[in-house]
Amino acid sequence: MLRYLAKRGITYVFMIFLTTSAGYFLAVSSLKPALLEQERIPRPTPEQVANSMRLKGLDPELSPWERYVEWLTAIVTRWDWGRSPNGAFINAEFGDRVWISTRLFLASIILTLVIGVALGVYSAARQYKFQDRVITSYSYLAYIVPAPIAYFLVQLGAININETVGERIFFVTGISTPGMAPGWAQFVDMLAHYAVPTIAITLVGWGSYQIAQRQYLLDNVNADFVRTARAKGLTRNQAISRHALRVSFIPVAQSIAFTIPAIFAGGFFAEKIFAWPGVGSWSIDAISLQDVNAATATLAYGSVIFALGAILADFATTLVDPRVRVQ
Amino acid sequence: MSSGTFIEPADPAQAPAEQLHVAGNHPPSDAVLSVQDLNVSFNTENGLVHAVRGVDFHLMPGKTLGIVGESGSGKSVTSLAIMGLLPPTAEISGSVRLRGRELLGLSDKAMCAYRGNDIAMVFQDPLSSLTPVYTVGTQIIEALTIHNPGMSNQAKEARAVELLAMVGIPSPKNRLKAFPHEFSGGMRQRVMIAIAIANNPRVLIADEPTTALDVTIQAQVLEVLHTAQEETGAAVVMITHDLGVVAGIADDIMVMYAGKPVETGRVDDIYYNPRMPYTMGLLGAVPRVDVAEKSSLVPIDGIPPNLLHTPTGCSFAPRCPLVADACLTGEPPLLPAAGDTGHKAACIKSDELGTDVDALEIFSAPPVPVSRFDSIPRGERATVLELRDVRKHFPLTKGALLKRRIGTVKAVDGLSFDIREGECFSIVGESGSGKTTTLLEIMEFHADQDGEVVIGGISNNRAADAKTKAAMRREMQMVFQDPTGALDPRFTVYEVLAEPLQNAGMDKKAIRKRIMELMKLVGLQPDHVNRFPNQFSGGQRQRVGIARALAVNPKLVVLDEPVSALDVSVQAGVINLLDKLRAELGLSYLMVAHDLSVVRHISNRVAVMYLGKIVEIGEVDRVFDNPRHPYTRALLSAIPVPDPHFERTRERIILKGDLPSPLDAPKGCNFATRCPVFAALPAVKQEKCLTLEPPLEAVRPSPAAQALESQPASSADQKFACFFPDGELDEDMLVVHDTADPHAP
Amino acid sequence: MTNLNAVDPAAVAQDAHLDGADVVIGKSTIIFRRFMRNRTAVAGLAIFLGLTVFSFIGGFFTPWDKETIDPFNIGMPPSGDHYLGTSQAGIDLYAMTVEGTRISIMIGLIVGLVSVLIAAVYGCTMAYFGGKVDRVMLFVLEALIMMPALLVVAVATSGGGDTLKKNLPSWLLLIIVLLVFSWMGTARLIRSLSMSLMQRDFVKAAQYMGVPPRRIVWRHLVPNIGSLLVLDITRGVTGAILAEVAFSFIGIGIKLPDVSLGVLIGGATSQVQTFPWMFWVPLTVMFLLTGSLAMMNDGLRDAFDPSSSSVGRAKKNSAKKAGK
Repeated sequence: MLRYLAKRGITYVFMIFLTTSAGYFLAVSSLKPALLEQERIPRPTPEQVANSMRLKGLDPELSPWERYVEWLTAIVTRWDWGRSPNGAFINAEFGDRVWISTRLFLASIILTLVIGVALGVYSAARQYKFQDRVITSYSYLAYIVPAPIAYFLVQLGAININETVGERIFFVTGISTPGMAPGWAQFVDMLAHYAVPTIAITLVGWGSYQIAQRQYLLDNVNADFVRTARAKGLTRNQAISRHALRVSFIPVAQSIAFTIPAIFAGGFFAEKIFAWPGVGSWSIDAISLQDVNAATATLAYGSVIFALGAILADFATTLVDPRVRVQ
Repeated sequence: MSSGTFIEPADPAQAPAEQLHVAGNHPPSDAVLSVQDLNVSFNTENGLVHAVRGVDFHLMPGKTLGIVGESGSGKSVTSLAIMGLLPPTAEISGSVRLRGRELLGLSDKAMCAYRGNDIAMVFQDPLSSLTPVYTVGTQIIEALTIHNPGMSNQAKEARAVELLAMVGIPSPKNRLKAFPHEFSGGMRQRVMIAIAIANNPRVLIADEPTTALDVTIQAQVLEVLHTAQEETGAAVVMITHDLGVVAGIADDIMVMYAGKPVETGRVDDIYYNPRMPYTMGLLGAVPRVDVAEKSSLVPIDGIPPNLLHTPTGCSFAPRCPLVADACLTGEPPLLPAAGDTGHKAACIKSDELGTDVDALEIFSAPPVPVSRFDSIPRGERATVLELRDVRKHFPLTKGALLKRRIGTVKAVDGLSFDIREGECFSIVGESGSGKTTTLLEIMEFHADQDGEVVIGGISNNRAADAKTKAAMRREMQMVFQDPTGALDPRFTVYEVLAEPLQNAGMDKKAIRKRIMELMKLVGLQPDHVNRFPNQFSGGQRQRVGIARALAVNPKLVVLDEPVSALDVSVQAGVINLLDKLRAELGLSYLMVAHDLSVVRHISNRVAVMYLGKIVEIGEVDRVFDNPRHPYTRALLSAIPVPDPHFERTRERIILKGDLPSPLDAPKGCNFATRCPVFAALPAVKQEKCLTLEPPLEAVRPSPAAQALESQPASSADQKFACFFPDGELDEDMLVVHDTADPHAP
Repeated sequence: MTNLNAVDPAAVAQDAHLDGADVVIGKSTIIFRRFMRNRTAVAGLAIFLGLTVFSFIGGFFTPWDKETIDPFNIGMPPSGDHYLGTSQAGIDLYAMTVEGTRISIMIGLIVGLVSVLIAAVYGCTMAYFGGKVDRVMLFVLEALIMMPALLVVAVATSGGGDTLKKNLPSWLLLIIVLLVFSWMGTARLIRSLSMSLMQRDFVKAAQYMGVPPRRIVWRHLVPNIGSLLVLDITRGVTGAILAEVAFSFIGIGIKLPDVSLGVLIGGATSQVQTFPWMFWVPLTVMFLLTGSLAMMNDGLRDAFDPSSSSVGRAKKNSAKKAGK
């Protein structure tokens, strides 16, 4: 088992290396931080710009390949992901932002999976009944709404609630109110900030899990082994909940590989709309600021998240399916 | 069967009360299961399907009822209706009484008190019938927990071990923790039986329990069912399409057709004195493995009726050779035949039928076709295919990044044989014996083949260019096992048949003419060429497949299990067609089949394969009548024969265990691990089997063999690979039910 | 979900279907008839066609265009002059919506069709050659799936002083980038379907007849994955429209002066309270567009669903084979 995971891990490290390298070349050839510098007032001379860029390791006169080698050497030897055009160190910035993103998504990922799977089971058990139709229609609806628009609509709803109540219950932007004293008040403040983004991401995300889980369970409801279980003396519902359900988790576990990166990608939009300074919004800002190193770092982060998701999916699959357990 | 549990159906001094137990309007009070006028219909998109129409039977304790019928005859639906496992959309009427209590109309929950307790069931497909994510132990213990909530965990585990041991699973204690995928099909079916008998049911329903299994495994599983019945004293309902399977074990038989029982009676009455043309046809349609038949099989034309329409006359009338006008008005009721209340048939002519009526005659079976090659001695005919020492080894590797070779799977290991003009050569063996790999090796034309395949005089080693390959392809065509999968669903029959002809470069007009010829040749209506495969029945599709293979006039047709996917009554027609084509067109066949009866019927020569090697080869009648290799003997003794007397008295070799993994094969004789002779050999001789590989040698006139047979064996076309063909058989592997049974209590 | 890598329920259902390895399709007329019997699907088709026609000829019904400013009607709600009102800058919303719908539909159609084409070629090549070629191509495919598409979109559309950007309108650039990242899932699906088809007896039969590989692919493989291709086109179109809206919404997709539904919706978010029509009108059009496609997709899937009896048989057989 460990060996298998190790093998997968090595493959993914190689893939991450490739995608990140490709991303670096793309960024280096299309992002030109020097141009932005020239818009400063007072306008610096080209020599000044080149100098400042060279100091930060962003020398525009070097060829992309030379810069790539320099960048890669720094990472491999010193774990130094370079600097932004404004002089900030990527490594320092990165830690904070990863933590913010993780906080934002962890709850959503768990909620999305749990609610999606639970509703899938519930609607499968009530196939073609009213509840099933409502839930499944909702999921299809979620599928045809672009994520940022859905987040925006949730935000609008929260604002409406605030206005109706006449009090600020939910914060629709930001991660916390600055200057709060630690304690109960800070905790409530944190909840008020978390509630809207978490709800929004979960509302948008669970649909595909509900549909998948419902489909898999229905596929298994009439399986031969369910009939065997009923022939033993279990009622239909008992046989389904004890036998079909467990089997129907297998493909859902496999699809975890896509949940995590999907929510991360949805996170670009969420962070942008709810103004959370996480990795996602950083990446977009980095691009508009022509920040090669930051853009590449976020891209690498995305690839790592994807690989983690894939390994986690392997792990989850082995957990629920004895057939793939490798000695 | 042990005489303690079963009555002797042939016994003339039978009590009249026992003759009544099959059917009758007055249920005997001691019947464990009484089914009366059971009707089941389903509402489908196309309309109401009447799946079961008026099934009646009464099952006495400890007895076995065989329900025989083809697919769609309603036999499985009947069993599911009894178990209450049909979907709620099914409309069920009539009465099902288990020990006097009515089961129909009970809620799912109320039914649960009986299911798995008083009445249990074993299903057809063991591969999908166990939940893949739970251990075997968990699944057996669940059956115990449901009906014995007070049982302690230890007691349950002990019982589970006991059950696994009872169904013959080695080291049962350890195997409790195994998952279903770690078991072979036969082993899983044993587990299914263990689950079914966990609570000592009064009635055990087995729905085609051995259909998906190999013959040797089928024999094992039937034996386990027999043991299970003895241990629990349960009455058994055995559902099957194979008249051989029930011949030896059933007391009574019910033949179903189009949802209706058409003939019921004691087993001997049905087999020796059938009173309904359908039963007669079915019995005549099955080839026998134990007789060198010199007659054609009984073909039943047409296909079973559509159950959407309630028949106005006898549902078999459209296919019946004896049909009269009276048959078309009103369905004939199930009435006592020849005044015998224990034997009933649903046919207005049942009194005219009987022992002296020959099914071959009434179904006008075609005469046995004679090939022009039959009169030429084999040695003088040209060779169409020759294999010389063909091998196919797969490396087995292990390891994540650095792959280590941990062994070699010898799927095909040194195969040599030849096929002459006009003959049918068959390869038989269990799944995993390498039959199919052999076919693939022949069909694929690998230039780097280990060994040599010579087709029409051209060796595959020299078939590098497309032109030579095309020449070889023209010599040889293939017919596949599954007629549905072998035809592109998007092609009309015309397009299917045109493909090989276009490929051969024929012009449109010639193609059209040839297709019409082909359709007639295989017995299809030429105006059906514009239909799609899904508009044909299975038998007709297989005929299309045969027509396609014949399109380019090959010399050799490779048949991969050509009839195994077909129903019994349809099978006979296809076999007769193959026989006819071989004679008329002078074709040679290379056939792979697991059904030895079919092989015996149509082959001239046969090779028995075991783990990639030929263990016995020769003329079919010699090999089947006088098998020398212990494996051939075991294989032949495992084939059930549709003859109750024969089945009850024959001695059976039941092999232990499954086909071993090729990795575990011993250095010497592959078969030693399961060999009944080996098991009884003294240690010195065993050593020889384990270390030396027996060569394939011609039958020599050894003293023992000469005593057994009168023919001069020296010139015989029969070779086998065994050191001790005349050794004693191990007693543990021999089973005779009528005489003293070692397992009997 | 807007992410191109997200789990698509329809794809998931289809993947599950592949296990049966059976996609038996009757004649195209049967499919057409079944599709026409599905009322939702027909309604979807009608709405989609209606919107397409509207996006091309809608411009003739108003004297305004997407650039002309009406200085007398700035930020006006819908009226007789301006059917759908005007923006803060006094531009006719109706004209902009017509234009935006056309761009969105165009992006959807081009991306949907071309990406399925790429996927079919790539997937079939993988399945056909197998072995090393398959492994390398699969690796490339998975590496592409790993690339966060959004970042690349952002880089490509915002790169300063990019020569590409100067020569190409932003919608074309977006199409190219979406294309690069939208075909992988389909390619993987087509690969596994083709591989299972290659194992089917009718393909083997053709091989054993000596039919050349190219003919086998063309006559047996392509028609049998046809249903999947059609389904994936409608799904690809939906995905591309959604992606365009999402990207433009946060300002990294299409840029003014090009107009699309995403640009209109995104631009109106800040004025949702003051000029609600500016937000809700394009949003409704987008819903009609994606909703009608989803309805069609559903109907098509039903129409392509193989006849149940043949599925049953194939399943039984494959189970038996797996047991051997």
